Amino acid sequence: MISVHRAGVRFYFDRHMKVVTRGASRLRSHGTTKWGVRGVSFESLGGEGIALIGPSGSGKTTMLRLLARVYWPDEGQVAVRGRVASLLSIDAGLLSLLTGRENAMLLGVLGGLSRRASRRALESVKDHSRLGDAFEQPVSTYSQGMRARLGFAVAEETEPQILLLDEVHEALDHEFRAVVAEHARRLVEAGGVVVVSGHDHQMLERLCTRALHLDKGAVRNDGPFKPVQQAYLAAVQAASEASPTW
Amino acid sequence: MLRALTEADLRFRYGRGPGRFLRWILEPFALVGVYLLLITFVLDRPGRAPGLSLAAAIVPFQLVIATVANAMQAVDIRRPILLNMRFERKLIPLSSMFTESTAFSASFLLIVVMMAAYRIAPTSALAWLPLIVVVNLYLAASGAYAASLLGLWLHELKLFLLSFVRMLFFLGPGLVPLAATSSRSRDILRFNPLSGMFEAYRSVFLDGHAPAPWELLYPFVIATAILLVFVPMYGSEQREFAKVV
Repeated sequence: MISVHRAGVRFYFDRHMKVVTRGASRLRSHGTTKWGVRGVSFESLGGEGIALIGPSGSGKTTMLRLLARVYWPDEGQVAVRGRVASLLSIDAGLLSLLTGRENAMLLGVLGGLSRRASRRALESVKDHSRLGDAFEQPVSTYSQGMRARLGFAVAEETEPQILLLDEVHEALDHEFRAVVAEHARRLVEAGGVVVVSGHDHQMLERLCTRALHLDKGAVRNDGPFKPVQQAYLAAVQAASEASPTW
Repeated sequence: MLRALTEADLRFRYGRGPGRFLRWILEPFALVGVYLLLITFVLDRPGRAPGLSLAAAIVPFQLVIATVANAMQAVDIRRPILLNMRFERKLIPLSSMFTESTAFSASFLLIVVMMAAYRIAPTSALAWLPLIVVVNLYLAASGAYAASLLGLWLHELKLFLLSFVRMLFFLGPGLVPLAATSSRSRDILRFNPLSGMFEAYRSVFLDGHAPAPWELLYPFVIATAILLVFVPMYGSEQREFAKVV
């Protein structure tokens, strides 16, 4: 279902350290480049939840965007087979000036549903997101949790085989976290893959049996969740003891 | 997908509710309507139906410049979606063009008002209008692909780029018909792809005859050349959009 072989994503910067496209980097002199992730390899045949753990800036979000095909690999290969649903940004992919209903319609179509299917799914999205009357209000009036709920409800409608979550679930209230966990469990049981990143390890453990420890854009450890998590926490502890305290 | 993107863009542009239709109708008048009324009823300008002649240039120009302005920020305003999911990003400039073509359709009312003011009746030459509009949309679409990329590459020069497009109105037969210029300037002004568009609209609305072949062919060739250069570039650069928004 997911096969990542020595994949790398490179970012181009201009001399003011602003990220630019590769084409723009050719127009501007004195630019630099940096790899977000490099040499990353792992596979999943399905039926598992994979947690991406690591410090901020370790490449978790870049890895998820690579799997969502939001980023293209600059080297190596990434093969993802199956319908993908993703919640990769704090605004959950929603356009703030549009209402919940309008966003649900747009994201449904962009997510692969026909217009008719997307329109038919609107009431179900409204119910599942539990937004009530707020569904008809512009998303700019929503809290982060409401946005994540709407984004998740739309993602559910596309019946994904691969679900990618980047810290967004951490904005959810406990009740909706349980809904996400239940959905992820059902997806994994049906042979799908859930890939989740975040710093809430309790939540990650509920969703995942496997973990990838990312550090400086590379995979440091890959295996069952608990041992990888403990090795990561031990590394963090060792690093904080080695560095001077405040 | 293109329809969904365009509908979302239209809601950005016109909002929602009953005021949306009113805004759609009134926007072209708010932009240039007063100027056209001045030309028609107050100022004494030489030439045949100067207000209609001017409107015939403003309407196609509005489509091109509004599409370019929209396309320059089209990638930026879709930031949340670009960062969250994969979709066919090549459709973004096209959706800019379709959004602005909605405003464009309302601006035809300006021409209708001007024809009524000068008591110029429509002729069978109007049968050419669909073809002229298609070429106009094609030219605007080519501008959209170029503007989307240039808006990303040269973020700080967006206003300058827009002024450059505006300059093309004055470096073409925008204010006066091509026939009212000297023969030397006429040869130079024809290099501007907008010249053919302005003259084609004047041919069918003002002069009541079919447009000359160059009036449609030249803008078509230029638009094709722009698309041939910018669409492959866009195809390669769109892989990087999520990194830069």
